[in-house]
Amino acid sequence: MIKVEDLHKSYGKLEVLKGITTTIHSGEVVAIIGPSGSGKSTFLRCMNLLEEPTGGRVWVGDQDVTDKKNNIMKIRQNVGMVFQHFHLFPHKTVLQNLTYAPMKVKGLAKAEAEKIAFELLEKVGLSEKANEYPTRLSGGQKQRVAIARALAMQPEVMLFDEPTSALDPEMVKEVLEVMKYLAHTGMTMAIVTHEMGFAREVADRVLFLDGGVLVEDTAPDEFFTNPKSKRAQEFLEKML
Amino acid sequence: MNLDFTQFIPSMPYILKGIIVTLKIVILAGILGFIFGIILSLFKISKFKVLGWIADVYTSIFRGTPLVLQLMLIYFGSPQIFGFQIEAYTAAVLSFALNSGAYISEIIRAGILAVDKGQQEAAMALGVPYRKMMWDIILPQALKNILPALMNEFITLTKESAIVTTIGVLDIMRRSYQVGAEYYSYFEPLLIAGLIYYLMVITLTFLGKAVERRMRRSD
Ligand SMILES: Nc1ncnc2c1ncn2[C@@H]1O[C@H](COP(=O)(O)OP(=O)(O)O)[C@@H](O)[C@H]1O
Ligand SMILES: [Mg+2]
Repeated sequence: MIKVEDLHKSYGKLEVLKGITTTIHSGEVVAIIGPSGSGKSTFLRCMNLLEEPTGGRVWVGDQDVTDKKNNIMKIRQNVGMVFQHFHLFPHKTVLQNLTYAPMKVKGLAKAEAEKIAFELLEKVGLSEKANEYPTRLSGGQKQRVAIARALAMQPEVMLFDEPTSALDPEMVKEVLEVMKYLAHTGMTMAIVTHEMGFAREVADRVLFLDGGVLVEDTAPDEFFTNPKSKRAQEFLEKML
Repeated sequence: MNLDFTQFIPSMPYILKGIIVTLKIVILAGILGFIFGIILSLFKISKFKVLGWIADVYTSIFRGTPLVLQLMLIYFGSPQIFGFQIEAYTAAVLSFALNSGAYISEIIRAGILAVDKGQQEAAMALGVPYRKMMWDIILPQALKNILPALMNEFITLTKESAIVTTIGVLDIMRRSYQVGAEYYSYFEPLLIAGLIYYLMVITLTFLGKAVERRMRRSD
């Protein structure tokens, strides 16, 4: 569960998040939607403190991530993150990408970390790529490895920041399939996306951000068929 | 031009022994300078500005003064610095390590900054602590990119090591010079020294290329 209370974030004079309050419940899949520059990435990155909020509070489970007394490193182990540009470790093989953090951060034995890694690679359909280096993979394969790498830490929450935006169109589906599968396993997920069809089908809830304000926080069907705000209406007209 | 190398054949083992001396200095100073360079480069990118400032001043001084001066300061100044006279060999290793540390720290700093910022974010998001992230994720990628520059620095070190002659270390340079003095003929032994240095540099270049090829495996 992630709870966000009056979250503010400014870069100097530029206020990017203007007081966001919402809760992502356990097992819930939330799609975060909004125009470019509306603060979606910043919002997501405040949840694992890749960006430090300038105001408000964020809880992951019962831990306040904005409280300096809490060990953010420990909290991050519970929050997987998938980036637009994958950020796989290029000097490590696919398998090593998956086993590195479990071994070096959680202290798992190699055999155990590899067992988990192979299970995950099978789930994302990349078992035969275990010993390849990332440069040898297609974009879709890289992103599936990146998802598996995050899952290898066995997190309670997964954050996705436009996971398919950097992919060639024909590779979008394979990544969305993996995410769909993950949603069905009951994973708690926050997904920044421009894939409206996917959001509507998979998300339990849609958060619509515009200009750093949470304009709508509602069920997908409601959002896509009957958006209340003018800004959401205009946005959807452009997207659909 | 009359050159007579034959008269120097008996002296060749003596000159060649200098290779060991030179290599010992260069390799030890290279390793120490490399470690020192990593530490300085981490200072330079540290969020603690004082550390960065110290490292910058250090680099500026060691790059802004002649190496031969640094060597002599450490050797002849050792009674005042350490309270006792250190050996010429020690002074050579020390000054070369301190000097190349300054140059290497700049190379590594640039290499670290050239690593995609996403790498750090990915590591942070996995909960990897700063030190492990630097050591396991950032530095290996940085080193791969800067290998040619590091090799260059090492080659420079090998050539410049000839200045240890000035404090009496019996390296290739000094030995050839001595042999020249003995025969009242400097030209041939110095040519021999030149050939030895050149062959060492060529070998290093070759080794560097081989290592580079190995490290490019993941591309
Ligand atoms: N590190 C930063 N420094 C300054 N401004 C930033 C920084 N990161 C993001 N911004 C600004 O914050 C705003 C929101 O950015 P972002 O959260 O990336 O939006 P989105 O993901 O919705 O496109 C943008 O105007 C962007 O320029
Ligand atoms: Mg974004």
